[in-house]
Amino acid sequence: MAPDPRVQQIRDRALADIAAARSTADLEQIRIRVLGRSGELTARLRSLGAIPAAERPQVGQAANRAKAELEEQIQARLQALRVEERSRQREAGRVDLTLPGRVTPAGAVHPITRVQDEIIAIFEGLGFSVAEGPEVESDYYNFAALNFPDDHPARDMQDTFHLSPDTLLRTHTSPVQIRTMKAQPPPVRVICPGKVYRRDADITHSPMFHQVEGLAIDRNISMGDLRGTLDLFAREMFGSRSRIRFRPSFFPFTEPSAEVDVLCFLCGGGGCRVCKQDGWLEILGSGMVHPDVLRNVGYDPEEVMGWAFGMGVERVAMLKYGIDDIRLFFENDLRFLGQFAPLTLPPHPSLSPAGRGTRMRRR
Amino acid sequence: MKISYRWLKEFVETDLGPAEIKERLVHAGIEVASASPVVEGLSGVVVGEIEAIETDLGPTPAGHHNRLCRVALPDRKFSVICGAPNAAPGLRTAFAPPGATLPGGRAITATRIRGVVSEGMLCSEKELGIGEDASGILELPADAPVGADLSTYLGLDDTILEIEITPNRPDALSVVGVARELSALTGAPFRFPQAAVRDGEQAAAALAAVEITDPDLCPRYAARVITGLSVRPSPPWLAQRLRAVGLRPINNLVDVTNYVLWELGHPLHAFDHATLPGGRIVVRRARAGERMTTLDGRERALEPDMLMICDAERAVAVGGVMGGAATEVTPRTTTVLLEAACFTPGSIRRTSRALGLSTDASYRFERGADIEGLRAALDRAAQLMADLGGGTVARGVVDVYPAPRPHSRIALRLERVERLIGACPPRPEAVRILQALGFAVDDSAPALQVVVPSFRRDIAQEADLVEEIIRVWGYERIPLTLGAGAQALVKRPPQLGLAREMSRTLNAAGLSEVITYAFVDPDRLKAMGWAGEQGLIALQNPISRERSVLRPMLAPGLLEVLALNASRQLPDARVFEVGHVFSPQVESDGDRPAHEELWLGIALTGLRQPRAWHAGRERVDIYDVKGAATLVLAAAGISAFDVVAEPAGGLPGYLARACAAALSVGETGVGWFGEVTHETREAFDLPAPVFLAELSLTALCALPAVTPRYQPLPRFPSVQRDLALVVSADVTAGEIEAAIRAMDVPWLARLQVFDVYAGGQVGSGRRSLAWSLTFQAPDRTLTDAEVNDTHARIVKELTERFRGEVRGTT
Ligand SMILES: [Zn+2]
Repeated sequence: MAPDPRVQQIRDRALADIAAARSTADLEQIRIRVLGRSGELTARLRSLGAIPAAERPQVGQAANRAKAELEEQIQARLQALRVEERSRQREAGRVDLTLPGRVTPAGAVHPITRVQDEIIAIFEGLGFSVAEGPEVESDYYNFAALNFPDDHPARDMQDTFHLSPDTLLRTHTSPVQIRTMKAQPPPVRVICPGKVYRRDADITHSPMFHQVEGLAIDRNISMGDLRGTLDLFAREMFGSRSRIRFRPSFFPFTEPSAEVDVLCFLCGGGGCRVCKQDGWLEILGSGMVHPDVLRNVGYDPEEVMGWAFGMGVERVAMLKYGIDDIRLFFENDLRFLGQFAPLTLPPHPSLSPAGRGTRMRRR
Repeated sequence: MKISYRWLKEFVETDLGPAEIKERLVHAGIEVASASPVVEGLSGVVVGEIEAIETDLGPTPAGHHNRLCRVALPDRKFSVICGAPNAAPGLRTAFAPPGATLPGGRAITATRIRGVVSEGMLCSEKELGIGEDASGILELPADAPVGADLSTYLGLDDTILEIEITPNRPDALSVVGVARELSALTGAPFRFPQAAVRDGEQAAAALAAVEITDPDLCPRYAARVITGLSVRPSPPWLAQRLRAVGLRPINNLVDVTNYVLWELGHPLHAFDHATLPGGRIVVRRARAGERMTTLDGRERALEPDMLMICDAERAVAVGGVMGGAATEVTPRTTTVLLEAACFTPGSIRRTSRALGLSTDASYRFERGADIEGLRAALDRAAQLMADLGGGTVARGVVDVYPAPRPHSRIALRLERVERLIGACPPRPEAVRILQALGFAVDDSAPALQVVVPSFRRDIAQEADLVEEIIRVWGYERIPLTLGAGAQALVKRPPQLGLAREMSRTLNAAGLSEVITYAFVDPDRLKAMGWAGEQGLIALQNPISRERSVLRPMLAPGLLEVLALNASRQLPDARVFEVGHVFSPQVESDGDRPAHEELWLGIALTGLRQPRAWHAGRERVDIYDVKGAATLVLAAAGISAFDVVAEPAGGLPGYLARACAAALSVGETGVGWFGEVTHETREAFDLPAPVFLAELSLTALCALPAVTPRYQPLPRFPSVQRDLALVVSADVTAGEIEAAIRAMDVPWLARLQVFDVYAGGQVGSGRRSLAWSLTFQAPDRTLTDAEVNDTHARIVKELTERFRGEVRGTT
């Protein structure tokens, strides 16, 4: 009784292929081709109904034998290939896990934007909206409305770039206070980030820099609230051990006015090079909005009151990051900016060099 | 301003040391930059007298003769070698015996010079660290006590406080002003300087006459006349006090005016009476074309708005700014007309600026002088001048004060203080503070009635008094509170939100943010092909020509960044900036003086990716910058935009025509991208190709907001077919895509170019564009026949329309 030639043919070819398989993946393909749900041998077994009834048992047995044999052979070959593959991997050496991973390094956020956004986030959390105003301003908004009289030395406090006798590059973000108050009735709670310009250039002064102005106007809002708010800000910005100090000062648009210092976070107040042995760092100017300014925007100083502050973003960034030359911000040397990119800030731990391997741990 | 600690203590009885005083002042709003000794390291130096010159030891390298002097102290005599030309028998001078030290730590010992022993050293001003004069040894008056400690005798054992006064406090620009503050701060008694004048026989009115023709610029002018004076060097204590605060002693008369200026804060001027015909002073505006020579020897052209002090005919001083050379005190002066006047601050400031002349006097007058206090300064100086110059003060004052200024009265409600500050000192303390600062206070009504002294011109309303009380009471007493204000929704301007969204997207794509100056170089703009000269906004007073016009676009700043990095061996750069660009005002700007738009600029050059073991070495090209621009638009919610090769508005001159296009969304132009021209690169010294894009956030922000619309997910399998079409190189991918889309093929779910190939088998002048087409029906599985048929239609359409052929389909 001749075995089924078709089964024989499938078996022989499969056995040859199994012997020739070079990888477990090859073997899996062979298994699917022959023994899978629509494999050659499976198909043959399914088609038994088409052959004469007398031959059916023999053919069926032969096919089942071949199936068992092939399964066994595949299993055996699989074991052998697995061993082979493992040893091949060993021969090729371990996967070198110290090679850097594939990344497209992210670009840097400019440190000024970084600090500015931090400041904005803190004050947004305290219920302040963001307001903006133009960089080219009129004398009225930059000075007159803020209570800087014509021909007054207070104007010397800010060396101004003029575009015409009446227009200038704003010397502070304070004109945004005026624009905001003129555009809406009280209460007001805004911060105003932006570029400002003064005719001054050295390692701590730049002709262009950034400020964030804050303004809060309401029926009852005191200098105590200003102090409390700035204290909260300092702790958030410079760490929970931070403290602030108010010193009397003079700004034409606030009365009373206060210069605000933050406890030097480098020396903790003991005195160091950065704080010039003072223990305190001047970070911003502030005060209660001058009644004349309130009148200038049509508010009644008997009805409402409020406070304002303005801080230099570069100053905060220089202190926070230990930057000693303001010009670095606008030179945009990529090595400088790169220090503010996610991959380099903070310094990320790297694997130790191959061979030592002491810091590689597996869990 | 420098203030002497000892001088200060003459007017306030305090035991506080300089460091404590510094601390107190700082906390009351007077900055103290430093507190340092007048001289450091000086000890053991005494007043010595040269008794005799014993031997001439021959010339020194400086050309003087070294001489052996016998120096006498009460208990002992010393042989001292001295090379100073002014060493002479009988001279009393500064003597440093062995054991003394000089500033800089120089220890004096007996030394042997060419075999002769010198027991110590005779010292110059410079060697003592008290002045710049090194031409000879210090000359002391004949009555200087021999053997006395020089520091004590000259008052060198003093500390100088370097204070900074805010522009609102001219009253604190003096020793007395600071003493008054200190008295209010500490409660220590305050004493105003003695200013009693011993009047002479002769009446001042007979010697001088004053007429003010322009009282709007000079509300008060007072003069005294001092006769019988002789001009000589000031006594050492006075000269030393001036030197210690940074003033140069000149002679007894001029030094007195400076001394009183420093002490009382009121500028004075001494005229040589003999140079003023009839002793007549006219205070008037300058005449057109008038000129005069000021004390510094410079001839000044005067303008009609400047206030002049004149004699009967000519201008003799620029009022409140500087005296004139023709009427100044000289060694021959015997009679002085002393001026104490008050000038209008704004006028002084304008004059001082116009002449480029800022003096101690103009500095104070432009901040506002004390119109009443000038009498005390006049009297004090007149008597001191008479005392030091051996003269007599003529009887009376010629004082022209046409409209006496009333004192302002302000009501101060302590409950207002409480409401503004959140705290308030007790009523008696508030009253004490105000009185100590010089205010008169009527405490009888609920609100304090406060009279403002003439020297506090900065106090105009209640809020000013609130500050006075609180700054003296102590800012550290202000509570820390967080007021419960009205609640409102926190908002940020849409432009800011959009800018941040875009920045984060570009950061993630590997681009770094830069911030460049808003002022740029007009010459560079021209080199970049900028034609709109008239559209530039120029600064009137730029720092330099390179930073003299407001940027009309972001490109120059970005190119500067690439150039700086290239010059520092960083040739690969992928950066962007978000910032305003400026152009002249248009109607919609309202009260904003210029037209400002927020733009985002992108610049790429060099390698596409930082070098890495897994990265290739491809350089950026036009598609990188277009891709970055696409990302920016996507961040604004825009996926459909047009690339316009030749836009109606043109493209900026810095872009190469063959490789640049504008971007528009619908009808709105939103920016452009392209390769930078060779000429522009040359202007910035950029060696490698540069690709730039600029997009207007202002324009993008004005577009209607896009909210994503949900599409049901496909429920049936898709079928993908690829199609490589070889066409003439002139045919663009955009044209082919548009042609396919125009066929309105049903079930075409996705269409993408996945390969572009030219050369080799394709043939010259032609290229192959390979497309991947995905077909999918929402309601059933597509049959092979349907897909094949559709695909064939597309192939037919494209091959016919673009005269292309298919390279093989899968
Ligand atoms: Zn420190």
